[in-house]
Amino acid sequence: MGKPPSILVVDDDPEMRELLLDVLGNEGYEVAEAKDGTEAVLALRAREFDIILMDKNMPGPSGLDLLPGFRRVCPRSQIIMMTAFGDVPSYMDAVEKGAVEYLFKPFRMEEMKAAIVKALASKAGRGPG
Amino acid sequence: MRNLTTRLVILVMAALTIITGLFDYTRLVDEHARLLRVTQDDERIFAETFALAVSRNVRRGRTTDDLKDLLDEILVRPGLIGVAIFDPDERLVTQTLAPGAEPARSDELVRTALTTGKAASTTMASGSGRVLRYIQPFRWPGGRTGAIEVRQTLAGMEKEFRRAVRENIVSRLVLLALFVLSVVALTRWNIVRPIRALIEAARAVGRGDLGQRIRVNRRDEIGQLAEEFNRMATNLETAHDALLHQTGERLRLEGEVQQGQKLGAVGMLAAEVAHEIGTPLNIISGRAEVLGRFIDPEHPGRRHLDVILRQTERISGIMRALLDYTRPRRPALRPEAILPIIGRVADLLLERSRRSGVRIALDLPVGLPPVLGDADHLQQLFLNLLKNALDASVSGGTVQVTTGPEPHLPSEGRSGIVRGEAKGECLAIHVEDSGKGLTADQLNHVFEPFFSTKGRGQGTGLGLPIVDEIVRAHRGEIEMLSVPDKGTEVIVRLPLAQTATGGPTASGTADTQEAHEHAR
Repeated sequence: MGKPPSILVVDDDPEMRELLLDVLGNEGYEVAEAKDGTEAVLALRAREFDIILMDKNMPGPSGLDLLPGFRRVCPRSQIIMMTAFGDVPSYMDAVEKGAVEYLFKPFRMEEMKAAIVKALASKAGRGPG
Repeated sequence: MRNLTTRLVILVMAALTIITGLFDYTRLVDEHARLLRVTQDDERIFAETFALAVSRNVRRGRTTDDLKDLLDEILVRPGLIGVAIFDPDERLVTQTLAPGAEPARSDELVRTALTTGKAASTTMASGSGRVLRYIQPFRWPGGRTGAIEVRQTLAGMEKEFRRAVRENIVSRLVLLALFVLSVVALTRWNIVRPIRALIEAARAVGRGDLGQRIRVNRRDEIGQLAEEFNRMATNLETAHDALLHQTGERLRLEGEVQQGQKLGAVGMLAAEVAHEIGTPLNIISGRAEVLGRFIDPEHPGRRHLDVILRQTERISGIMRALLDYTRPRRPALRPEAILPIIGRVADLLLERSRRSGVRIALDLPVGLPPVLGDADHLQQLFLNLLKNALDASVSGGTVQVTTGPEPHLPSEGRSGIVRGEAKGECLAIHVEDSGKGLTADQLNHVFEPFFSTKGRGQGTGLGLPIVDEIVRAHRGEIEMLSVPDKGTEVIVRLPLAQTATGGPTASGTADTQEAHEHAR
């Protein structure tokens, strides 16, 4: 457990990515970023992440479109989806496609940290595969 | 003659009277003739016998006095009023008369009998009724012919005949009366009563009481008619119910489609906006949170940070409300006193009304009947209406909240729009402002989403559509009236809670008074 957990942030908004990188880096996580699906795929080819924090709404393939592929490519990663508030139908969709957590924007940073801790705990519970 | 029984009775009576009358008349005529014949036969037999006796006495040369004695003896026979003997020369030999009887004289009839030697008879009128005369010739000494005349009164016979006629009439009348009674009873029980029942039922069905049925306990034509009527009523009722159901269903579907279309557009837009502002909001609040870690809670700058966080929360709240509008929850209707609700709304707007210098005057009497409503929805409704009224007013103006059936704005130059349709007893709440009013064209669009008469960025254009939704969900109606440069009046009519005990609660009254205090 010496190595800090790794997180890939996938969001098309640079300031949102910057915020998340700041906050999560400050928490001691090892954080990488991707601005869309293509970059995310490239990043996932390079290495494995414990957590993928992904926005639903992005230009090109949406977070929901990417979800099933990510689950195949890196089955051990825990995927947390982010979307605008009130988007209950895509929440159901995401859970079905294998997202472990779901955050409605705007969410509090504390909320996000709690979701990540929970996702890591459930990953640890399942074991390293 | 409108009555069926009367007509039937008169018809039957007339027919019966004519038939029995004719029958009785001929019968009585025959009877009279028979009685006369019998009397005549009687008289003839008697006269023949008597003639033989007289003939013998005359031939034996009896004196006139002897003959008179014989006649006197004979006269005691009942009905006989006179007996006379004529010689061959038509001279009256002797006669005996009952008291008051007309004396006999030789006449044409006597002469005929004497010359032909054949009996002759006739009836003639006399002082005491009709009299039957019978002339019987007999053998006179010397081969000649004499005659006797017997007179008999017909009074007895006539009396008997009259009695027979009387009895006949009485018996006929009794028979006729019985017949009429039975006809009346029969038609009443078998025709009039069931037909009246049919008429009543048909009237009831005509009035719209389609559940009307007739009890059928007979198999004749009237029974069949009643059965047909019942079948028709059942068919009508079924068709009516089906129509009602169809209409209700269609209206409901139409409403849902309309609502769906409208909410579809609004909802899509709302979701779009929510998506777009979700990320920037998150960046603001996230940065504020990050910043919060660097600033000591006691630091004076901390206050500004808290405001930023609170305001981002507020924006999310507004967006959530917008999303909620596109997915409205059904109101939970129950009896609600309207006063405490409006009182709370006035409380909420107190600061705003002070700032804009517009007074909110609640002029609602204590004891208004409760309406059937959802308190949260109604609060939203009046909040939107009062906000609009405040925004429309200029400083120094007043927003009036009143109740009553009639609009307060003068009808001159007034235009209006009504949404929804309230049925049954309603409570009408008026919200009036003294602003610059709306044109007829503006009024036509006020209930459309995103239509706003306020300045850019001041109104969402969703206030009145939400009000409209709430009023419809309460099965009430909303009327908006406006006179340019005079003001706008909104009348909300909400159905009363019929089963409620009535009257606002004690706390409701207190709330309202409090609201009054604040408003002043």
